[in-house]
Amino acid sequence: MNPWDLIAMQPMINTLIVLTHYLFNNFGLTIIVLTLIVNGIIFPLTLKQVHASKAMQDLQPKIAELQKKHAKDKDKLAREQMKLFRESGVSPAGCLLPLVIQMPIWIALYQSIIRVLAVIPENLVGLSRYLYSWPVVYSTLPLENHFLWLNLASGDMILALLVGGTMWVQQKMVMTPAADPRQQSQSSIMLWMMPIFFAYLTLSFPSGLALFWVTSNIFRIGVQYFIGGWGGLVKTEPGKPAGRDKKYKERIAQVEESPKIDEFPRLEESPEGGADIVVPSETQEEGSSYEESGGKRPDRGGGYPKSIRAARHKPRKGGSHRRKRG
Amino acid sequence: MKSRNSPPAGKVVLLVILLLLGLTFVGCTGIRSSPEGGSGGTVADSTLFLSPTLTSAGGFGCTSPNVNGKLVALSAENGTRFWEFTMEGSTSGGGFGCASASSPAAVYGSPAVAGELVYVGGYSGKVYGVNIASGASRWVYPREGKLEPIIGGVIVAQDRLYFSSADGVVYALDAATGDLQWEFATGGKIWATPAVSGDRLYIGSFDKKVYALSASDGTEQWQYQAEGAIVSTPLVYNDTVYIGSFDRNLYALDAASGDLKWKFPAGNWFWTKALAYNGTIYAGCFDGRVYALGAEDGQELAAVDLESPVYSWPVLVDSRVIFATEEGTIYAIDTATSQATLLADIEETVYAPLCASDGAIYVYSHQQNLYALNAASGANLWSLTIK
Repeated sequence: MNPWDLIAMQPMINTLIVLTHYLFNNFGLTIIVLTLIVNGIIFPLTLKQVHASKAMQDLQPKIAELQKKHAKDKDKLAREQMKLFRESGVSPAGCLLPLVIQMPIWIALYQSIIRVLAVIPENLVGLSRYLYSWPVVYSTLPLENHFLWLNLASGDMILALLVGGTMWVQQKMVMTPAADPRQQSQSSIMLWMMPIFFAYLTLSFPSGLALFWVTSNIFRIGVQYFIGGWGGLVKTEPGKPAGRDKKYKERIAQVEESPKIDEFPRLEESPEGGADIVVPSETQEEGSSYEESGGKRPDRGGGYPKSIRAARHKPRKGGSHRRKRG
Repeated sequence: MKSRNSPPAGKVVLLVILLLLGLTFVGCTGIRSSPEGGSGGTVADSTLFLSPTLTSAGGFGCTSPNVNGKLVALSAENGTRFWEFTMEGSTSGGGFGCASASSPAAVYGSPAVAGELVYVGGYSGKVYGVNIASGASRWVYPREGKLEPIIGGVIVAQDRLYFSSADGVVYALDAATGDLQWEFATGGKIWATPAVSGDRLYIGSFDKKVYALSASDGTEQWQYQAEGAIVSTPLVYNDTVYIGSFDRNLYALDAASGDLKWKFPAGNWFWTKALAYNGTIYAGCFDGRVYALGAEDGQELAAVDLESPVYSWPVLVDSRVIFATEEGTIYAIDTATSQATLLADIEETVYAPLCASDGAIYVYSHQQNLYALNAASGANLWSLTIK
């Protein structure tokens, strides 16, 4: 048995089987529960990744500005970008590292589900070499592959649509309007391509796997909502602020009316008539909407948008200043 | 506002495609998505009947299987092909060849021969009665539609054809016409081949039960609850039913009453059918051993380590029990001494039941090669690829 099978596959497969035993021999329920458990265990990593991504998104206007400013000098651009990251306390690796750490877990879970759902003799034979010698494992197999209306071993159209739909929602929530039309076009491609591709893929795979994808997507939508509200899902109407609710606007109004108003950014209407633009008192950030700048919704205990916080705590000249997250 | 440093849309799309292809690769690698089958042979009048493994093709670990199976008639002496009969399968045509809802006509159980017909049933959920001489279809069951996949083999006794399906039902057909005579539903899938002795039919099910039915009308005689699912085929010997289970036990049940006589715990699943000779039961196990047990008391007489799981049914030739391991090693166990001798190593995966006739054993590998070996020496008499 290779190290991957020993370290990842074997524990995952046996956990799935034992969990099924204690969950009324219901493998569909097991997939949902295990997906939630795994998501729960790696929640700190997910949170870190979402925060890091959000912080990177917040910096996009500034990065775009730098790109424009140093278009002809790539070295300078790289240096300035690094400086910006340093000063903002944002690490580009912060977005990738948690993702990389999570990947083996997802792949193991994904492969385990396919293996445990063995519906043909060849796969069931292969499963035997992964089993621990626990009596419960042997008495539980083979698993029942019917759950609700689903045959967990076959593709399902409804579940395929759910996979595509939840993936679209999740992506839409984290999507921010880009100033650059080229970037906007890339984002739009990603927004539609991934869900369509995964929905198509779902039709070809056992629906047990799709159940895992849907559960994961819903969990992440929840995490995303917890951190950044509905994000890009809320449509911005001309003439209306993109702020999501009254509380948010009230908080912003409080900020504007506070005695230390000079230290706070001004709130202006977007030139496009769209998103609220929070303008720091010293440097104006073009296109920095709530979606782009808000790390956490102010009314959800996440404090003010980052640009506001950035204005409160000015970086020291010539030195890096790492902001503490609220 | 065009940014020169932002990556072009094409690169992003390419990256996404590569990532998704990688995911597809990871998901499919090492996991078969479609049944391939590959039956054991059955010899009658120097003719060997066999259903080959279905071929697959495709990249990235995803395969695009053939859906039509075959029943092939060959000369048992030299492998000359007499005829082949095509069994139609179907596929859902899912993307990337990873379709899981397909029903290829893969055959796992050995064909059965009786009178002028040879019978075969496959994963496509159909059973055929085929003329031995011409290879033409005499009848098909069901005539319209299909059953759930048939994984076990078919057997003929008392002019009836018995088989079971993944729908958990045992079927008895008129062997001459293919008309349904009776059916009996169990509580789980059935992947095993039934065994008939006298007027009793014995079968194990995924519902962890062993059933004894009346072979003539399908009424239940008794049932025994094991601790694990059962896919192995029962062996009836000296009024006792021997059957292995996923719970790692080999059970000995009274054939008349279903009472437990004894059970023997091993290290892994029992999948293959046991074999009896001279008061000893030989049972191959997924723990890589063949256990020689006293038929009456289940006492372990020997545990022969073959170092690879035993999936294929054994055969008895001249008081030697021949076993094939999954890795393709063929051993002969001397029933007098319980000593194993390596007969041959074909170095290919063996799942299909072994077959013996006139001093030769026939081994069909998952790689679609058929080997005719001398049962005494293991010498290769002839071999050919059967697709």
